[in-house]
Amino acid sequence: MSKQDISKDEIMAIYPKVAAIIADALGCDEDEVKPDSSLIDDLDAESIDFLDIVFRLEREFKVKIPRGKAIEEARGELSEEEFEQGGVVTPAGEAKLRAYLEEVPEDRINSPVRSAEIPKLFTTETFCKMVIREQKSAA
Amino acid sequence: MSELFRAFSFVDKIHDDETGKRISGEYHVPETVEEFPLSLVAESVGQLAAWSSIAAVDFRFRPVAGIAGEVEFCGEVRPGATLQLEASISKADAESVNYDGVARVDGNAVVRLKDCLGPMIPIEEFDDPSSLRERYGLLTGFGAKPDAFEGVPEFSWDKTGGDPGQTAEATFRVPESAPFFEDHFPRKPVFPGTLLMNLNLRFALDLASESSGGAGAWKPLRMTDVKLRSFLEPGDRLDLAARVEESGEDTAKIVVEARKGKRLVGSARVLLSRKD
Repeated sequence: MSKQDISKDEIMAIYPKVAAIIADALGCDEDEVKPDSSLIDDLDAESIDFLDIVFRLEREFKVKIPRGKAIEEARGELSEEEFEQGGVVTPAGEAKLRAYLEEVPEDRINSPVRSAEIPKLFTTETFCKMVIREQKSAA
Repeated sequence: MSELFRAFSFVDKIHDDETGKRISGEYHVPETVEEFPLSLVAESVGQLAAWSSIAAVDFRFRPVAGIAGEVEFCGEVRPGATLQLEASISKADAESVNYDGVARVDGNAVVRLKDCLGPMIPIEEFDDPSSLRERYGLLTGFGAKPDAFEGVPEFSWDKTGGDPGQTAEATFRVPESAPFFEDHFPRKPVFPGTLLMNLNLRFALDLASESSGGAGAWKPLRMTDVKLRSFLEPGDRLDLAARVEESGEDTAKIVVEARKGKRLVGSARVLLSRKD
């Protein structure tokens, strides 16, 4: 079990649907979408695509995924100032972020991380986990 | 004469605005225009939803065209018709507006929009907030004087290739200037997404007519997965590509994409049916 109590089995149970939604939203082939694909760097997603994907996930899985929730959860008990200063994630914030985004390969997270660029780190698996967290909190 | 609220504004009156949740209104199509494409009817519904969402965020943000899950074409609109507009909004905040909507003429639906999403942008980048507040006051009060719209030109493309009846390729250049740029938007001219939608629709009809039946043999039923991924600016050159995804006796599904360089900027699936 991961630190966020989300198992690989849980992720793989919804992965095919999430990958199909991402492929549909980005107009790419499903086999281009991998669990660790960075949506922005690997699949050329734009900010509108993130809105589209979240909107489609909400409809498919009947959950609400509050915007900014991922950052808020990554921050944990840290205050906003402890997590980020002047648009840059603090070392303490970065440690939290790395733990939260454990599915993101370490070498993709380059210090210092700019807050605005956090979505660049999101992978297909990140979106699976967003859905699972909301399913669990609604249960 | 200023084209603001004239050249590309399609709400004359707001009847009821349960701000950020539900809104109804109307638009009278001027008798003097040659035609009023269904894509502009969709624009009219989108603008109605936009007014409610702008009011919901106290005129700090405005939505721009983004995504329509489905646009269903159920009828025709003739010059002189009055559109009765409604939108049901599931979310309106600083990030986006999500809504469904419908336009009716004489009680009959002509265009239905489902699962639409417009990203919100800081309003000052596009408009003068005070003029929008004033306009909203007018629309929710006495209503605007109708018949300001004088039509938009029918844009055409230059065909560059394709396999007749199966695929088509073309280029399209966004005009450098047009009256609608003064209204859409005053501080940042952007080619309206619904004009691109209309272009894509006609491009798909053109491809279908190559496969069988000739010009005028097909009509649009609906567009799905309509998406505009970035702003189109005056003078932009777009590469259009269409391909038949499915075809049957009486229907055809065509995927249309618009690219600026390599970048996909707009896409949609178009479902057509053979005319009776």
